[in-house]
Amino acid sequence: MNVVKIFYKDDCPMCPMAKRLKDSLLKQKVMVSEYNVETAEGLAEATFHGVMALPTIIIEDDNENELSGWRGTVPRVEEVINAVRGS
Amino acid sequence: METTDLNLFVRTSEETLSDWSRDRIVHALQKETLIDEETAKDISIEVEQTIRKSGVKMVTAPLIRELVNAKLIEKGLETARKMHTRLGMPIYDVDSLILHPNKENANVPHGPEATNLTLAERIKKEYALLSVFSQDVADAHMNGDIHLHDLGFIDRPYCSGQSLEYIKRFGLNLPHSLSMAKPAKHPEVLLAHLIKFAAALQSNFAGAIGWDAINIFFAPYLEGMSDNDVKQLAQMLIFEFSQQAVARGGQAIFSDINLYWEVPKHFENTPAIGPGGTYTGRTYGEYEKEAQRFVWKLFEVYKEGDGAGRPFFFPKPIVHITEKFFRTEGWQDFLYHICDVASDKGNTYFVFDRGETAKISECCRLSFKLEERDLKDAKEPWRMRYCALQNVSLNLPRIAYMAKGDDTRLFDLLTDRFVLAVKAHKEKRSFLEKLLALGEDGPLSLLTMKQDDMPYLRFDLASHLIGMVGLNEMVQIHTGEELHSSTQALKFGLKIISHMNLLTEKIKRNEKIKVVLEQTPAESTSYRFARLDLRYFSPLSGRVVKGDIASGEIYYTNSTHLNVHAPMNPIERVTNEGKFHPLIEAGSISHIWLGEAQPTKEAIADFVIKTFRNTRNDQIAFSPEFTTCNRCHRTSRGLMDTCPYCHSKDVDGITRITGYFTKVSSWNKGKLGELKDRYRNEEYFGHMSYAINE
Repeated sequence: MNVVKIFYKDDCPMCPMAKRLKDSLLKQKVMVSEYNVETAEGLAEATFHGVMALPTIIIEDDNENELSGWRGTVPRVEEVINAVRGS
Repeated sequence: METTDLNLFVRTSEETLSDWSRDRIVHALQKETLIDEETAKDISIEVEQTIRKSGVKMVTAPLIRELVNAKLIEKGLETARKMHTRLGMPIYDVDSLILHPNKENANVPHGPEATNLTLAERIKKEYALLSVFSQDVADAHMNGDIHLHDLGFIDRPYCSGQSLEYIKRFGLNLPHSLSMAKPAKHPEVLLAHLIKFAAALQSNFAGAIGWDAINIFFAPYLEGMSDNDVKQLAQMLIFEFSQQAVARGGQAIFSDINLYWEVPKHFENTPAIGPGGTYTGRTYGEYEKEAQRFVWKLFEVYKEGDGAGRPFFFPKPIVHITEKFFRTEGWQDFLYHICDVASDKGNTYFVFDRGETAKISECCRLSFKLEERDLKDAKEPWRMRYCALQNVSLNLPRIAYMAKGDDTRLFDLLTDRFVLAVKAHKEKRSFLEKLLALGEDGPLSLLTMKQDDMPYLRFDLASHLIGMVGLNEMVQIHTGEELHSSTQALKFGLKIISHMNLLTEKIKRNEKIKVVLEQTPAESTSYRFARLDLRYFSPLSGRVVKGDIASGEIYYTNSTHLNVHAPMNPIERVTNEGKFHPLIEAGSISHIWLGEAQPTKEAIADFVIKTFRNTRNDQIAFSPEFTTCNRCHRTSRGLMDTCPYCHSKDVDGITRITGYFTKVSSWNKGKLGELKDRYRNEEYFGHMSYAINE
């Protein structure tokens, strides 16, 4: 199943928008994992994916292949849902 | 003066024979420790009685000192004992050192000068552990929790990045030197100044001396020279650095030269300094062609190798690959040229400065990203002088043995070790501050000279390095898998280094001290940690250390590298090792072990471009292996027991030990074990044909 990964940190200007995106996606029953890059876990995952800007939102398949990504921007909820559901 | 009737001679440290005098013990104890006169007298009487009972007629001053120390221990006066202790070495060790080569640092030759260096290092190492560092730091080093690098050079900073512009502008005017030279008017003189200055600097730093943008800063001196003359200058530069075995302990200067095909953005508009130390009225951007001519000729010399066709060990040529590189006319030809050298001799280091980053490389893998202040300094490049004060490495597998599979304990222990390493840095920093405060009359007078408006050593910008050894084994012990075995293992490794990265940020914020992570070269540390862990953490460690336990050729995998023995395509290695590089601010490298393979320049160029474009890897180097014959002086590809030309058995193997080439015969056991294990990428580059396009 495809999953949305959201990378953020506490004091980045656009990160609250990413947080709101997460809430909307959860309401739509989309699987979301969020990573704070100021924690070891979050920074490790961000480094693994080559995240250089925040917030970053990526969609992965079961094998951790990246299907779509938005780096340094926050997409609309519909865009993410379409990408997750492959339409 | 109090005397006794003991008929005894004492061999003193002043090379004299003295009559026995108990009073000397009292005097020394009062001068060197805080104990009272009464106790000192009691001790002197007890020591005298011990000697009297033994019946000896001659004693040495060191023996008396040790007898006094024994009495101090008996009386529970441990602080006084430490203050009164003597530094030195057993005669057996000195004998062995004089007769046999030092295997701790493959760059130290074997000879009287080298022995002097090693003996001095041993004393200073003991001094550092007793006098500079607190007991918990010293104990952690001794038992192998951490490693304090270059303790034998405790009274100098670790390594540095320099600018040729300093000597171009100010000439060669060193404190206490017999003569001063005004700024050079001719390229050969500038070269002589550079070599002399590098040798002087080597005596003031423990590690490498890196020179920034050397081909660009030489450029204003090259106008009007024929191509042959430029080649001659290139040849002189490389031979002068590589043959200068008159630096510390008969070593060659551990030197790096940073080279560019383009003039990097931060130097484009910098006013150029020319002959006589005067501004030429043009910018370095306008000297691009001359700079390119010089760097091209330097690589022609590297390609030819030394008189026996061997690769030059020093200076290490570090080529910066930037976005602008690919926009600069002639880049394809130059890339082929340096890739040809990489394939044939292995010398070329490819450093990737992606996006807006600019870096200076200094050591085996140490590099510094230029910050905003540095980019301002780039308008007056002689100001661009950097250093790291010390390097402390953490024994990561040790932490995993102790954590026994408990995640929380693992990260707590990692934090504890990190904090201890920071404490070690503060202690060395405060010791160096004391030495530097002595100014021109102190031991580091060279670093305090002020030819511009600041001391030569820019202490406020100094970095403090924290390295790591054996991440692969740490992950193996804790998760059961090595870094290359699964994505989960790789991610766990990233979590460890992320934790360390976040700790550096916290220290910078809270303590205002610039602590940065570096991949430890670990030429001997990976061997030392493995040996100590085999002693303290068997039987588990016996299943984890790499190499051959029976022969003692054991090691841990260097820094964040993947298992060197694991067969994998080099792109996969460079990609996965590169995932760690953004977390390691002070520099990283991936090695591609070529063995006997000699890929085409096109194949190497294609690999370099892919690494730049598709990975986060900071730096790569290709390492071939050679056999050089001491009888017929010819060099062949691969490591062999006999010379394929004259069949002599008097041969030396040559390849990279960590970040530099050296003779295999000088390697320690751990590195020999690693050499046997290295997976050579002999088939990957194969017979494919490549065309490089951007």
